[in-house]
Amino acid sequence: MTAPVLTVRDLRVDFTVDKRTVPVLRGLSYTLEKGRILAVVGESGSGKTVHALSLLRLLPPCADIAGGEIVFNGQDLLSLSPSALRDVRGNKISMIFQDPSSSLNPVLTIGEQLEETLRAHRKISREEARRQAAHLLTSVGIADAEKRLNEYPFQFSGGMCQRVMIAMALALSPDVLIADEPTTALDVTIQAQILGLMKALQQAAGTAVIFITHNLALAAQIADDVLVLYAGLCMEKAPAKELFSRPLHPYTQGLLNSLASLSQTCEELPAIAGNPPVPGENLPGCPFAPRCNKAFDKCRACLPPLFEKNGRQVRCWLEEPK
Amino acid sequence: MTARVEIKNLYKTYFRRKWLFGKGESFPVLKDVTLSLPENSVLGLVGESGCGKTTLCKVLLGIEKPTSGTVLADGKNTAEISKTVWKSLRRVMQVVYQDPYSSLDPRMNVRQVLSEPLDIHGLKKDRAERETFLKGLLASVGMSETFLDRYPHEFSGGQRQRICIARALALEPKILVADEPVSALDVSVQAQILNLLKKIKRERKISMLFVTHDFAVARFLCDEIAVMYKGRIVERAPAEEIFTRPLHPYTRALLAAVPRVDGTGFAFAAGTPGVEPGRENWACPFAPRCAAATEDCRAHRFELKEVSPRHWCACGAISAE
Repeated sequence: MTAPVLTVRDLRVDFTVDKRTVPVLRGLSYTLEKGRILAVVGESGSGKTVHALSLLRLLPPCADIAGGEIVFNGQDLLSLSPSALRDVRGNKISMIFQDPSSSLNPVLTIGEQLEETLRAHRKISREEARRQAAHLLTSVGIADAEKRLNEYPFQFSGGMCQRVMIAMALALSPDVLIADEPTTALDVTIQAQILGLMKALQQAAGTAVIFITHNLALAAQIADDVLVLYAGLCMEKAPAKELFSRPLHPYTQGLLNSLASLSQTCEELPAIAGNPPVPGENLPGCPFAPRCNKAFDKCRACLPPLFEKNGRQVRCWLEEPK
Repeated sequence: MTARVEIKNLYKTYFRRKWLFGKGESFPVLKDVTLSLPENSVLGLVGESGCGKTTLCKVLLGIEKPTSGTVLADGKNTAEISKTVWKSLRRVMQVVYQDPYSSLDPRMNVRQVLSEPLDIHGLKKDRAERETFLKGLLASVGMSETFLDRYPHEFSGGQRQRICIARALALEPKILVADEPVSALDVSVQAQILNLLKKIKRERKISMLFVTHDFAVARFLCDEIAVMYKGRIVERAPAEEIFTRPLHPYTRALLAAVPRVDGTGFAFAAGTPGVEPGRENWACPFAPRCAAATEDCRAHRFELKEVSPRHWCACGAISAE
């Protein structure tokens, strides 16, 4: 096993809303190795995007990293100076956001935006930047790159914009790529295409990827490891194949059972009752206990720790080693 | 079985005027759409964004006027009827939208939301009767009667969608148009709403036009599925048949692009745009993305043809098989 590129230890993020402190991430830990794809799966409000933003310290002012460590290639990102952080952002860790058309600047051409990224981190001439930008566009499958560099984002479709975002994110061959719901705004055929492209480029460069999604099936298709987030806590983490063939946590089991299937139909879907918790309504016990059909008194009284089991992690009292 | 909704050769074109005296541009959105929605059945309309799914709903609901063609809802031609008849038609035909956050007035409590349609149509005027009815309505969508005096902001997305469904059911309609009712909801809540819609269909004998981009959801809920591409229906068949024997290359491409939990059967680049360049001007609109296209597809656009009982497909390459 290679040394981890990124280690996150007990990451805690609090938001301050109306002078009230709302914990959004409640102690997240994982390691990411070179060339691996880690899918972070969760529903809205589970803290998956907040986790991504905190890795690059892009959180809004009302949010505060309350504790933990983010170690990237031996450096603690949380203690870096703004200028050192600037060197990491986009260069060593880059990010693809959910909505491609709103992440590009509408008044600059695609070429200007790609060249800006390159020239911000590399000492290269304008001509060289332009040449590299054209090469990048070609590598993400955009034909006629020279001409398209002079076009504006509105002249690109959603899928094309997302390709540009991928080109930009991979421009400086980062060690870690964070993709925050990169295909949610796209149609399924375009989604398949973008994922294929990401996977090919990722394998060629050995980039480690954090793939954030709410779509379990998507995680099953692309990831090596899957981390299931619920109410700011890791509920289960396992290699993708094992997680989907034998989910341990009742939440993961419930989610997988409740998905409508493409290959068979049924009279009623086994839905999980209730609603996902709103950040801030922290219960003393397991956050999933109110919706869990296997919950017992201990679940409601105290929060289970993450139990290690055959290289997997699961936060459930039912999996407590005897 | 009679049809609750009959759509025949429907065209809808949007126009945009370029400049004060300039020549405008036209955007054909629906082209020659023919569909029927039988009693007590769910018709799924599947397609990618921009293919005209929502426009079809709007035309059916009378929000947009058809450019040509006829829409018969509950036996009435929607283009010809007066406003009074339209009002009575709205008792028969109701809608649930995609986003439960923007489709509820934040200043109205649940009681007001659910009473509004009853007030407009002058129904259940007796106070006690109204109260019992509203409570029953909430119960039928799986919500407690104590929620009647609460406001939308107090509810989660799934609960709001339940309120929207209750509002649509208040007039006891025969036709329900559901435009992507679960795509804005959390994964763990989607199943609840899908079960609710299925229960409503079973208990109330409602005909439903269910618009979605999610094939798995369509399979669970729909009796029949129509696949739309660039404003045309390219394939229509009983739901089971679409999954066991998809015919149109576009349907196949869509199915292959759906990620699956078991990790199988996923094609990373099936039917994606730009696969076959140089076919932009071919008669078949799908030719630029089609792997099965032949020379015939350059000159002809194939009309929907019944290839086997109740299975319609608009593809030359497939019919020739």
